[in-house]
Amino acid sequence: MLLTRKGQTGQRSPDRFAASLADSLSRALPTMDRRTFLKRSGIGIGAGIAASQLNLIRKAQAAEGAGAGNGKIEVRRTVCTHCSVGCAVDAIVENGVWVRQEPVFDSPINMGAHCAKGAALREHGHGEYRLKYPMKLVNGKYQRISWDQALNEISAKMLDLKKANGPDSMFFVGSSKHNNEQAMLLRKFVSFFGTNNTDHQARICHSTTVAGVANTWGYGAMTNSYNDMQNAKAVMYIGSNAAEAHPVSMLHMLHAKENGTKMIVVDPRYTRTAAKSDQYIRIRSGSDIPYLYGMLYHIFRNGWEDKKYINDRVYGMDKIREEVMKWTPDRVEEACGVPEAEVFKAAETMAKNRPSTIVWCMGQTQHTIGNAMVRASCLLQLALGNVGVSGGGTNIFRGHDNVQGATDVGPNPDSLPGYYGLATGSWKHWATVWGVDYEWIKKQYASQAMMEKSGITVSRWIDGVLEKNELIDQDSNIKGVVFWGHAPNSQTRGLEMKKALDKLDLLVVIDPYPSATAAMAAMKVDGQELNPNRAVYLLPAATQFETSGSVTASNRSIQWREKVIEPLFESRTDHMIMYQLAEKLGFAKELVAKVKMVPGKGGMMEPEVESLLREINRGTWTIGYTGQSPERLKAHMRNMHMFDVKTLKCKGGKDPVTGYDMTGDYFGLPWPCFGTPELKHPGSPNLYDNSKHVMDGGGCFRANFGVERDGVSLLAEDGSHSVGSDITTGYPEFDHVLLKKLGWWDDLTEEEKKLAEGKNWKTDLSGGIQRVCMKVHGVHPFGNAKARAVVWNFPDPVPQHREPLYGTKPELAAKYPTHDDKMAFWRLPTLYKTVQQKNIETKMYEKFPIILTSGRLVEYEGGGEETRSNPWLAELQQDAFVEINPEAARARGIRNGEYVIVSTPTGARIKVKALVTPRVAPDTAFIPFHFSGWWQGKDMLEYYPEGAAPVVRGEAVNTATTYGYDSVTMMQETKTTICNIERISA
Amino acid sequence: QEAKTPAAQPAQPAPTAALPAVESVDILKQNQAERNRTQPGNAAPVFRAIKEGGEHYSSLPYPEAGVLIQPKAQFPGQSYATTAGEAWRQYRNGPLTALGAGLLLAALFVVTLLYFVAGQIKNKEAPTGRLIERFTPAERFVHWTVAITFLALALTGVIILFGKHFLLPIIGHTLFGWLGYLSKNVHNFVGPLFTVSIIAFFVLYVKDNLPAKPDLNWLLRAGGLFGGKNAKEPSSYRFNAGEKIWFWGGLTLMGLIVSASGFVLDMIVPGMTYSRSNMQIANIVHVVGTMLMMAGSIGHIYLGSIGMEGAYDGMRHGYVDDTWAKEHHDLWYEQVQNGEVPRVRSKAPGQGSGDAPAPVKV
Amino acid sequence: MARMKFICDSERCIECNSCATACKNENEVPWGVNRRRVVTINDGVIGQEKTISVACMHCSDAPCMAVCPVDCFYKTDEGVVLHNKDACIGCGYCSYACPFGAPQFPSSGTFGLRGKMDKCTFCAGGPEENGSKAEFEKYGRNRLSEGKLPACAEMCSTKALLAGDGDVVADIFRTRVIHRGKGSEVWGWGTAYGQPPQQQSKAPEGKKS
Ligand SMILES: Nc1nc2c(c(=O)[nH]1)N[C@H]1C(S)=C(S)[C@@H](COP(=O)(O)OP(=O)(O)OC[C@H]3O[C@@H](n4cnc5c(=O)[nH]c(N)nc54)[C@H](O)[C@@H]3O)O[C@H]1N2
Ligand SMILES: Nc1nc2c(c(=O)[nH]1)N[C@H]1C(S)=C(S)[C@@H](COP(=O)(O)OP(=O)(O)OC[C@H]3O[C@@H](n4cnc5c(=O)[nH]c(N)nc54)[C@H](O)[C@@H]3O)O[C@H]1N2
Ligand code: HEM
Ligand code: HEM
Ligand code: SF4
Ligand code: SF4
Ligand code: SF4
Ligand code: SF4
Ligand code: SF4
Ligand SMILES: [Mo]
Repeated sequence: MLLTRKGQTGQRSPDRFAASLADSLSRALPTMDRRTFLKRSGIGIGAGIAASQLNLIRKAQAAEGAGAGNGKIEVRRTVCTHCSVGCAVDAIVENGVWVRQEPVFDSPINMGAHCAKGAALREHGHGEYRLKYPMKLVNGKYQRISWDQALNEISAKMLDLKKANGPDSMFFVGSSKHNNEQAMLLRKFVSFFGTNNTDHQARICHSTTVAGVANTWGYGAMTNSYNDMQNAKAVMYIGSNAAEAHPVSMLHMLHAKENGTKMIVVDPRYTRTAAKSDQYIRIRSGSDIPYLYGMLYHIFRNGWEDKKYINDRVYGMDKIREEVMKWTPDRVEEACGVPEAEVFKAAETMAKNRPSTIVWCMGQTQHTIGNAMVRASCLLQLALGNVGVSGGGTNIFRGHDNVQGATDVGPNPDSLPGYYGLATGSWKHWATVWGVDYEWIKKQYASQAMMEKSGITVSRWIDGVLEKNELIDQDSNIKGVVFWGHAPNSQTRGLEMKKALDKLDLLVVIDPYPSATAAMAAMKVDGQELNPNRAVYLLPAATQFETSGSVTASNRSIQWREKVIEPLFESRTDHMIMYQLAEKLGFAKELVAKVKMVPGKGGMMEPEVESLLREINRGTWTIGYTGQSPERLKAHMRNMHMFDVKTLKCKGGKDPVTGYDMTGDYFGLPWPCFGTPELKHPGSPNLYDNSKHVMDGGGCFRANFGVERDGVSLLAEDGSHSVGSDITTGYPEFDHVLLKKLGWWDDLTEEEKKLAEGKNWKTDLSGGIQRVCMKVHGVHPFGNAKARAVVWNFPDPVPQHREPLYGTKPELAAKYPTHDDKMAFWRLPTLYKTVQQKNIETKMYEKFPIILTSGRLVEYEGGGEETRSNPWLAELQQDAFVEINPEAARARGIRNGEYVIVSTPTGARIKVKALVTPRVAPDTAFIPFHFSGWWQGKDMLEYYPEGAAPVVRGEAVNTATTYGYDSVTMMQETKTTICNIERISA
Repeated sequence: QEAKTPAAQPAQPAPTAALPAVESVDILKQNQAERNRTQPGNAAPVFRAIKEGGEHYSSLPYPEAGVLIQPKAQFPGQSYATTAGEAWRQYRNGPLTALGAGLLLAALFVVTLLYFVAGQIKNKEAPTGRLIERFTPAERFVHWTVAITFLALALTGVIILFGKHFLLPIIGHTLFGWLGYLSKNVHNFVGPLFTVSIIAFFVLYVKDNLPAKPDLNWLLRAGGLFGGKNAKEPSSYRFNAGEKIWFWGGLTLMGLIVSASGFVLDMIVPGMTYSRSNMQIANIVHVVGTMLMMAGSIGHIYLGSIGMEGAYDGMRHGYVDDTWAKEHHDLWYEQVQNGEVPRVRSKAPGQGSGDAPAPVKV
Repeated sequence: MARMKFICDSERCIECNSCATACKNENEVPWGVNRRRVVTINDGVIGQEKTISVACMHCSDAPCMAVCPVDCFYKTDEGVVLHNKDACIGCGYCSYACPFGAPQFPSSGTFGLRGKMDKCTFCAGGPEENGSKAEFEKYGRNRLSEGKLPACAEMCSTKALLAGDGDVVADIFRTRVIHRGKGSEVWGWGTAYGQPPQQQSKAPEGKKS
């Protein structure tokens, strides 16, 4: 959007832009009366007075580069590395230095827009506060060491641990910050080390969504897109603060709102998102199910449900209806605090303005009952017939820039890339793709049983260290941890984490900003040392601007990042580090068996990123990561202007570089993009949308749960199918047998037949089954089934409200008690009832009468070490704070801006500033979780590696958070716990 | 602060009862939540609140970071309230500049007139050659410190306030830029020095400036100004009432006002928030004070230099002739003659104690 | 001739601080100097909260310009209010006069030592040669001379912040107002561009001032 009449309104291609940048430097804007001014004022050249005071403007690192136009100017298109919106950025690089950053107006996702984090990306090119070289903790201080020494010592220690305690004594915390290629490579790396003890942010982010939603209708992902929200007539945000967490999504929402879309926000806090809503509903944290059932109650009572849709496409809605009708308005109000009229109004808005969509995020997922909450949200959408419809769907805003991709193909403890479980068949499938012998992999593991058993989760690694050995479901406790792009202050129970960190034999942190972990590990509490033999290493990883690779946005679109600059300082790319460690560990050959090697930093060899993506393409049939070849992705990135902002569809056009015709493609080939790249599947903009042909991204619900249950068919009813399907009723997923039965086998080529024999649509490496299904017969390879309203394999097949373990309402806990304790759950004993009951018996709610919730600030991300090291962002939020209602503050004599102590049942006492604000109700307090660097009131600066402490440090809320894990996925409870807030008496 | 009266709300036509179906609400009192109910989407109350200039939420921890627009203000003599910054601008660039310049020019004019019309006040009798020490070296040192710092401040202050009107067009931006920069920094550092020196001045001079009986008479006869050339000046001790007024009013009171406001402008008052409204007020007080003081000083300097024969000698060298003393400060002269006041109060170098011999003018 | 103006659409602004950060990035503005700030009114008050991003509005009859003792401001033909840092003496008067708190100083030292004033340039640099190193170091980027608009507005997450020819931005804004049927208040225009309040409470007329 060029807001001046003089300017060229046309599209600017990146190259033209670079050229125009260069020549505009010499071109003076004729309308500027600089000359007249100079003449009139008689200011001589160089007549500056007190020149020393002119150093206002900090020099860009490219001292010469400041627009002087004397170097080689290149434009590299990349994607913001912060959140899952996936905003594109043009980085202007001069002589290898990132000198400027320009918005990409052509991007259909962000149209040049950014939030604060995206607008500050170029700071990554400065990286003043990054770790600059490998370091090792020696006598309580970090000392610089060489890469060789680091890799030798780390690998030796890992092999020792493996030998003495088995491979499961190691835990690898992977990262949603890695690109898809690195994420896949890390899963491979960990497998070849011989363990499933690996995990990443998704666990503590959307694991409940992924499990809940996938079990409802097939895939655990956002069904539609940010862009598609422009087609919605009503939107309900429940547990999402998009204005801070996904700011650029608001671009689409607010535009839609101008066209009449109604917006409802359901949140315990009056957030910046709520401020833009037409209706704001304040619920008590943790009570989403009563609220959603309250809405469904009115929907069913008034007959607003989509009866045909439910009949054709939903299984078990009657059971839900039964449950819902028990949630009378008074019960709803009692449980969630929302009066009937409000609930009714929201239900009416959603029902009468269809298609309506729902957005949820951490407000729903991060609970002991997160899996049930997200399913309750799905139920609302299924009842209204909103799923599989443009403008409808469940717009589940994902977290980190590549958390979707890392979940899809990365280090998960319970699956191989592409959600292939840990069963033998999956292993064999990936062994083939990776070009290694299945038996060889098996040898790396403690046993086949351990190979097929889900690992420990990142939310619980500390219990893997601390729990009594006889209570854990693996041989040894965890003794070594690698933090490979994950912060420590993002996991709950900080006090215990400190103990676990101290007990380890080996701690390795591989991160551009490893310092939160480093400081926490180096810190001495009461001068004690739990393990004198502990070895701690920090390795400087390169950022995503220092490598190329693909990244999957929340809407499943995959974008390609060009490398902007060379890895700064001594940092190395993650895939190079993986390869080099594998060399020392003895499986480098296997790790890159089918991967091309290319020279990387300093001429050292590293796996080629494109080649890794092709490996993903070759193996990930389940979720359609097969069609997104590097070439197609790069063509999309070069030609963003050809895609429509509302539909993401390419209006027509060829990539000038390769001649590839993108017509009909959806931007970033949102998965599933089935078949081989040659099939030219366009990607799926909206999942399960049967108003489109499958070759145009259409689909139906996945047949993943069998064909019938207790005599009831699970397949879609007659007449319910995607447009142009040869089969006009429900059908199961495809394999060689079904193809043969239908007489479609001969549609396969001879070569395809060879590979497809004995295989199904997920394991046929030729892609023939998918091709024949989609291209020839218009059917979906994964079948055409009903969505499951009742998920019989979950602890609560019909979602049930259960009170949090730590709550302020014992009377409700008595009515809606939590689950029973579990013994071996993801290898660990997990407590529910014991904790809840103890809290009620000891009247914890009297000592800690305020509900404590936590979440995000727009300026910082995650644990925050990265963003708090960025002065442009850090200046905007200089202190950790707690939001407290004026009434609650008054009762405690607390004034705005002063320090207070927030204490929780763990015994933690954290010191933060009070932000007295009516954003929260008197019974609730909120603390952003991005801070670290203070430990219960004490600045940890002295424990940081020299020069690598972030600009802003503060108290981490997770130092104080309490126990509690989701009953399906081990998600940590970070949204509802209890606390007390005290004045600091001077 | 009382200079700032809150904005008078523009008069709103009251909804006439005759109009049917129009609900009568006082939209000025209505808040946004009510407004949302009656007129969804109309955010007028919010915007009204902004215009009132309050401090709102900003994540930046800096003073006034949350102020979107300065509150309204109306300085004395202004006909309507406007944004404080704009009101201040109008005040400073308007009356303060104009009246200030007028006052200074008027003072100069009066002094010039006095010089050419009345002429220098001469001693009526010939000097005796006998000298009285009127100001000890310490007294003279302090006075000259006051005088020099004052002149420096006045000169630089005038450049800051008026320079762009009379100097800049002549000397151009380059030179004036330097001059402005110099002026500002000289002014800002010399200011506190001036304050220190007036305090010292006060301590040294206060004793002889306490009001005394003859002062009233002196004042009633206006210092004998209109008594004609040969009329005897009204009696006075060491300092006459005119000088005392200058001492108390000019040096002490104005000095304090100007210094206090100057300290604020200089941002050297410990613990003070230098909000824009504080600065505006300080500036106005400062300018008003300094104008009065400068106007006064023009008169004082005239009398202390070319306006009166012999006065300058006293301040320059410390000694006045008996004749001068007798004619201008008769009662003081008597005191000296009586020995009530020593002829020489300073200690001559090398002498431990005792009166120094009265010097004689050579 | 284009007359450059800002509009911040408070119905869209979400306090994301992108504008403030984009400015820091593009102009390398140091810690403590905030050419653009984001302010929330009625924070947390249900139904009453509005956020606004503010920087120099490049006033028609600019108070800062009027009070500067060394006359170091100048106005471009496009209505952009710029200043000459070589001449600035750091007296702070412009900041007392500015209704919007736009002028910023690198320090707030005693004895009035503030350093050179800095403020939003509408990304139009200063009196040095367009696009020169000296211009960049003193004033930041001169995007206008490159045919681009201010970084803050270009990167605004929701396009709440509009910058450009007053007529054009007023048109865009008016279209939005008509579509949504509300939120017509144009914050700051009356103060900055001297429009009578009646016009101000409607969509901006876009008249050149
Ligand atoms: N600026 C910024 N953006 C980010 C991130 C970041 O760190 N910083 N992180 C990214 C990541 S990893 C993620 S996962 C997303 C998260 O994005 P969001 O989930 O939108 O962010 P949160 O602030 O964690 O939580 C959202 C809201 O849930 C509310 N809430 C708390 N308890 C409950 C409850 O019981 N029910 C309901 N309905 N709401 C509740 C909180 O008040 C909060 O406003 O953001 C992504 N974007
Ligand atoms: N109390 C509370 N706790 C929470 C939440 C909450 O709402 N409340 N939210 C949870 C959620 S949803 C999430 S996703 C987590 C987020 O928490 P984390 O993901 O732990 O937080 P980040 O600081 O973003 O961690 C990412 C790390 O990766 C590093 N990194 C960046 N790029 C690269 C790279 O290319 N390579 C490598 N090796 N490292 C890289 C960064 O420097 C940073 O240290 O926090 C969870 N914790
Ligand atoms: C009595 C002698 C003084 C005179 C005649 C004088 C005069 C002035 C004048 C005319 C101005 C300009 C006002 C304007 O442009 O609006 C000014 C400004 C100022 N004065 Fe004084 N002043 C005097 C004493 C002081 C003292 C004692 C101080 C400090 C202790 C002081 C500190 C200042 C400051 C800080 C400014 C603002 C100038 C700047 O920071 O650029 N002044 N003064
Ligand atoms: C060049 C400038 C000045 C000259 C030539 C000058 C001259 C004189 C002279 C000659 C006297 C002695 C009068 C007497 O003997 O009774 C005197 C006294 C005095 N001067 Fe100045 N003066 C100057 C500046 C100032 C300034 C700037 C101030 C104060 C702001 C000041 C304050 C006084 C006071 C208070 C006295 C003593 C009168 C008393 O204590 O009552 N003078 N000056
Ligand atoms: S953090 Fe998210 S919304 Fe902000 S610029 Fe980056 S991708 Fe866009
Ligand atoms: S907003 Fe302030 S600084 Fe900008 S032109 Fe107006 S008065 Fe001057
Ligand atoms: S600070 Fe500089 S620009 Fe501002 S008024 Fe003073 S001299 Fe002029
Ligand atoms: S126009 Fe340019 S200088 Fe002004 S606030 Fe925006 S980015 Fe900063
Ligand atoms: S970037 Fe836009 S939405 Fe964000 S704070 Fe600035 S003006 Fe508001
Ligand atoms: Mo997340």
